[in-house]
Amino acid sequence: MRRNIALITVFVLLLVLATLSVNAQDVDKLKFPKLSELKVPEVERVTLDNGIRLYLLEDKSLPLFDISVRINCGSYLEPEDKIGLADICGTVMRTGGTAKWTGDEIDELLEGVGASVETYIGTVSGGARVNALSEYTDLGLEVLSEVLRRPIFDGDKIKLAKVQERSAIARRNDDPQQIAFREFKKFIYGAHSPYARHTEYATINAVTRDDLVAFHKAYFHPQNVQMAIWGDFDKTKLLPKIEQYFGDWERAGELVPKPPEVNYKHQSKVYYIEKTDVNQSNIVMGHIGGFVTDEDYADRIVMNNVLGGGFGSRLFNSVRSYEGLAYAVFGVYTANIVYPGVFYNFASTKSETTGKAIQGVIKEIKRMQVDHPNEDEMRMGKDGYLNSFVFNFDSKSEVVTRLMRYDFYGLPEDFLFKEKENVEKVTPDNVLSAAKKNLHPDALQILVVGKGEDFDVPLDQLGYGPVDTIDITIPSGEEKKELAVTPENLAKGREILQKAVAAHGGFENFKKITSVSIKGTSLFSMGGTEIPISMEWIRVLPEKSKSIMSVMGQVMYRIRNGNTGWKTDERTMQLIPLTHDDIVGDEKDWARTTIHIFAASDDPYYQAVYDGTGTVNGTPVSFVTLIGKDDEQICRLALNSESSELVSKSYLDETPLGAGTVEETLSNFSQINGVRLPMTRIRTLNGQKLTQTDIAEFIINGDIPSDAFDKPE
Amino acid sequence: MKQSVTRWLILPACLALFFVTTVFSFDFTELENSVTEFALENGLKIIVMERHEAPVISFVTWANVGAVDDPKGYTGLSHMFEHMAFKGTTTLGTKDIEKELELIAVEDSVFLELRAERKKGRLADSVKIKALEAAYDEARDASYEYVVPNELGNVVEREGGIGLNAGTGYDFTIYIMNFPSNRLELWMALESERFLNPVLREMYKERDVVAEERRMRTDSNPFGRLFEEFLAVAFKAHPYGIPIVGHMSDIQNYSRPSARAQFEKYYSPSNLTVAIVGDVKPKDVKKLAEKYWGRLPSRPAPERIATVEPEQNGERRVVLEDPSQPIYLVGWHIPEGTHPDRPALDALVDHLGQGRTSLLYKNLVKEKKIAMTTAAFAGFPGEKYPTMMGAFAMAASDHINEECETEIFKEVEKLKNEQISEEDLAKIKARTNASLINQLDSNQGLAFQLAGYQVFWGNWRELFRELDRINAVTTEDIQRVAKKYLTKKNRVVGMINTEES
Repeated sequence: MRRNIALITVFVLLLVLATLSVNAQDVDKLKFPKLSELKVPEVERVTLDNGIRLYLLEDKSLPLFDISVRINCGSYLEPEDKIGLADICGTVMRTGGTAKWTGDEIDELLEGVGASVETYIGTVSGGARVNALSEYTDLGLEVLSEVLRRPIFDGDKIKLAKVQERSAIARRNDDPQQIAFREFKKFIYGAHSPYARHTEYATINAVTRDDLVAFHKAYFHPQNVQMAIWGDFDKTKLLPKIEQYFGDWERAGELVPKPPEVNYKHQSKVYYIEKTDVNQSNIVMGHIGGFVTDEDYADRIVMNNVLGGGFGSRLFNSVRSYEGLAYAVFGVYTANIVYPGVFYNFASTKSETTGKAIQGVIKEIKRMQVDHPNEDEMRMGKDGYLNSFVFNFDSKSEVVTRLMRYDFYGLPEDFLFKEKENVEKVTPDNVLSAAKKNLHPDALQILVVGKGEDFDVPLDQLGYGPVDTIDITIPSGEEKKELAVTPENLAKGREILQKAVAAHGGFENFKKITSVSIKGTSLFSMGGTEIPISMEWIRVLPEKSKSIMSVMGQVMYRIRNGNTGWKTDERTMQLIPLTHDDIVGDEKDWARTTIHIFAASDDPYYQAVYDGTGTVNGTPVSFVTLIGKDDEQICRLALNSESSELVSKSYLDETPLGAGTVEETLSNFSQINGVRLPMTRIRTLNGQKLTQTDIAEFIINGDIPSDAFDKPE
Repeated sequence: MKQSVTRWLILPACLALFFVTTVFSFDFTELENSVTEFALENGLKIIVMERHEAPVISFVTWANVGAVDDPKGYTGLSHMFEHMAFKGTTTLGTKDIEKELELIAVEDSVFLELRAERKKGRLADSVKIKALEAAYDEARDASYEYVVPNELGNVVEREGGIGLNAGTGYDFTIYIMNFPSNRLELWMALESERFLNPVLREMYKERDVVAEERRMRTDSNPFGRLFEEFLAVAFKAHPYGIPIVGHMSDIQNYSRPSARAQFEKYYSPSNLTVAIVGDVKPKDVKKLAEKYWGRLPSRPAPERIATVEPEQNGERRVVLEDPSQPIYLVGWHIPEGTHPDRPALDALVDHLGQGRTSLLYKNLVKEKKIAMTTAAFAGFPGEKYPTMMGAFAMAASDHINEECETEIFKEVEKLKNEQISEEDLAKIKARTNASLINQLDSNQGLAFQLAGYQVFWGNWRELFRELDRINAVTTEDIQRVAKKYLTKKNRVVGMINTEES
C-alpha cells in the first residue's frame, strides 16, 4: 500500500514537471552568445641596471598595491644536516628586523595601516609578498627593500623561528593526511632528496645565525630577483621609487646551482604506517610524474580530468558516488617545470573498506589504459579545459606572476596559449596512449596510514609485494649517547680546554688567583615575576667562602671557614651551623666556577672529554665534559668553535625550583688581573629562566678583612 | 644600549608620519551603485553586481537553512541535502526518469522496512533482516541501472564552470559556481532546475560518503574532535551545540523521504537568495531569472527555531585526553552578528588576537614563546543567533595548555581593567578599512558577502556600512563590552591534553 502511494505521488509530480523542465538535451541546445574577446592585460617588462627584472601591470579598479617577488634560491641548496635552514632564513629575514627597524617595529608599521610584507624560501624558489593600500606604496617598497637587502637576523627571532619549527615537528604526526603525503614523497624522490626530506630536531638545532647570514649572502643579489607588481600605480611615478629603493643594490655572488635531477625506478611496494586513533585509512598510491614541457603534456591534462579531477571523473563516479567508499578521492599525474611531478592517487575510507578502496582505484587506473574516454568524458575532460580557459586571466595577480615564472624558466610568453592549442587537438586515442605510456598500474607504490587491525584485506595480499611497516616516531633532538671517554676524545678535549684557558688570559694568570670578591645584583624569575636580589660573594683559597644576599630587605648569610661555618635559616632567619652536606655543596659550586676550572686545568686527575659540536643560542660550539677525581661529571662546557671563549656550562643540580639540568650562559666578558671573566650570567633550569646575575664589582686578590669569615653579629 | 634608545625615538615619529595620511573612509558609493536588486513574484531575491574587468561571473545561491534547522534524530540532515543537490534532477542524471522514480520508490519502501526492523534492537528478527538486506541491495542496484552519474557536475565542468562547490554551516547552505560570462543562461537553467526538480538518487551510497566526510573531518582530526566536544558543552539548548555533519548514528539513519522533507520545507524560493557578481547586465539577469527561476512555485516560508541558549551560570570546561599535541580553546558567549555590541567586540577581537601586534601573539608567541600559534575570533560557530568569541592557542613543544591559558586570561583582564589607547584603536580601524578593500578583489567573495548581508541584515547595503560601524567604536565601548562579556561565568574552555602513551 505504502509503495502505491509513493508511486502515485511520483507520477503526479512528473505530470506537473513535464512541461517545465530543462533537460540535458535542452542544455545542449542552449545558444551561448559569443564570449567577449579575451583581452589579455598587457604586462610591461623593465630590467634595472643591476639585473632586477620587473613585470608591471597597472590596475586602478581598487586602491591596492601588490608585489610578488621571486628569488632564485631554495631549500634544495641547504646541507642535509641543516634542513630547515632556508625556511628559517626566509622567516627571520622579515621577523628579525633590518638595519633600520627591528622586526617588531616592522610589525607595528605594517599592521598599523593594514599592510603586509612577508618573505619565505620554498623548495626551488624564494620570495616575498607585499600587499598594501596604494597610499602606502612607499612604506611597502621601503620595508621590502630593507628585509631583502639588510636583514640582521636577530638572535631572539631566530630562537622564535626555531621554537616554531620544533613545535611543527612535534605536531607533524597529528594529522593522518599530512603523514600520508609527507611520507609518500620519500618513496618517490628518496628520503634524502630535497623534494621529500623534512626537518628534524637535530637539523633545526644545527642551524646557526652564521648559516642564515651566509645563506642570505649567497643568493640575495639583484640578478636573482624578479618582481611582479600590480595594482593602483602610475608606471612613470613608480619606477623612480623602485630605483630609489633597489637601484643601488649591487650585483654580487656566484651562479646559483640548479636543483638536482631525480632518478626513479618503477617498482611495486606496499607501505603501512600505523595510526590507532583514527577510524579511517588514508591511502596514497602512485609513482613518478612528469614535466610541463613533455610532448604529451596536453594529452595528460585531458587524461587527468577523465581519471580523477572533479565531478564526473572515473574515480569520483565509481569510488565515491557508486561505491560510497570515500568522501575524498582523486587521481592526478602532476607535472613541474624543474623536477618531475608525482602520479598521486588518494582516497580516505573507513578502515574496514581499505582493501576495497585500493582495488577500486587500481581498477580505474588500469581501465585508463584499456577503455578510450567516451564522448561525455572527452567533453568533460577537454571542453571543460577549453571553456574555462578564460579563468586563467580573471585576476591580475595570476597574469603577471605567471609571466614572471615563465620568464625565469625560459618558457615562451605564449606557453599557455600553445598548451591550449595542443589541448584542442587531443583525441581519445591520444588520451589512451598517454595513459599507456605514463601510467604504470602494475608498478605502484602504495601507502596506507590507518588502523591495520580493522582492514578488510591484509595489505600483503594486494599483489604489490610484502608490506614494509614504516616507523614515524619523531627522533628526539638530544642524542642521548654515552659520553665516549676514548684516548682521542681525551686528547682533543684537553687541547680545546687549553685553547680556552689561553683565550681567557692563560694558565699562569689563573694560577695566581688567591682570592675573589664580587658584588652584583641578581634577578630571580619565579611564577612570571622577577625578584631582585643584591649579593656579595668572597672566596679565599683554598676553603674559605662567604655570601651575603639581600632579598626584599632580608639579609641571608652563608659563611664557610674550612670545615665549619654558619648560614641563615630560611624559615627562622636565625644563624645555624653549616652541615656536612653544605660544605660538600660549597666545594661543588666552587669546582664549577670559571676560575677554578681554568686554574685546575693542568691537574692530572682532571679529565676533559671532547663531546661533539653543536650550537648554543645560535653560536657554533664545541662541547667538553669535565670529569673530576671520583669519576663524577663536574660540568659540560660549551666553547665557541672559533674563539674558544666560554659560552655556557651545564650540569645537574638542585635549585629552589627543583632539580634538573642547569645551564649557565655567560657573556659580557671583562679583563681583570690578566684574566677574562663573564660579568653576566643567565641560569636556566630545564630551559626555564631561573636567574640573571650582573656583576658590578669584581676584585681579584684584593684585601679581605681578617674577620670576614667570623660568625656575623 | 644607545641603539635601542634611538630606535624608540624613531618609531613614534615614523608612525605619526604614516598616520597623517590615513583616511579610514573608502568611498563605497560607486560600488554600491553597481549593485541592482530585485525579487521575483515567487519571492526569490536576486542581487547583481556589475564588474566588467574580465568576462567571467560568480554565482552564489544562499539557502536560508543550516544545521540549526536539522530535525530531531536527523542531525546533519541539511548537510546531507546539500550533497543530494549534486545528484541531478528529473532531467539531468537519468536514463529514464519514470522507471527510475518507480525503482527509487521501491528502494525507499524496502529501506524503511529494513530500518524499522533494525530499530527493534534486541527484539529484531535476524532472518527477516537478512532477507530485507538482500531485497534492499537488489532494489538499489535496480534503481542505479538508470543513473547517469554526476551529470549535473559533468555539464557544469564541460561548459567551463569552475569552483563548483557547496557548503553547509549552522546558519546557511550555499551553492557556488563560476562561469565564463556567456554561460549566464546555462547557469540559470541548471541552478533553477536543481531546486525545482531535484532527484535524490544514490541517496544511501551518498550517506556513506557523508559518513566518510565525518570520519575525515571530525573523528580522525584532533581539531574536529575538540570543536565537537567544545560546542556540545557551550550550547546545551541551542542547536549550535550539535555537529553540522551530524552524529554517526543519525547519518546512518537518514532516509530519502527525510531528506526530501527537509528540501520541501526549506527550499521555497522566498527562502533563497541569489547573488551574481561579474560581467553581466542586470536586465539580462532579470529576463532570464523570470524565465527559469520563475518556474519555482511559491511556498510558505519555513518557521524558525525559537530555542534560546539560557544564560550560563558558571564556567564550563571540557578536557580531551588525546594522543595529539595540546590544543587550547576558550570562548565567551556573545550576541548575534547584527547586535549593536558586535562592532566593539569585533574591534576587541582584532586587538586581542589578530596579527603579530596583537596582545596574544606578542605575549604567547613573541615574548614567552610558549605557543606556536594563537589567535582570537568572533562569530563562531555562527552569526544568526547568539554566538561566541574566543581565542585558541597551540602550545609550543615542551609547553602546556595551562601556561597558555594563564597568559590569555592575563591579556583579557587587561582589556577589562584598562582602556586601549586611541592610537591602537586608530590602527584597528585602519586594518578594517584595508581588509574590507582587499575583500572587494574577488567576485566570488563579494557574491558570498552580498547574499549573506542580505539574509542576516535584510539589506545587502549593510556590507558597505561595516566600516562606519567600526569607525563609531570608542575605547570606552571596547572596555565596556570586555567587562560585560569576558567574565569567568560566561566562559567555556576546551582543550586537548596529550595522553600518556
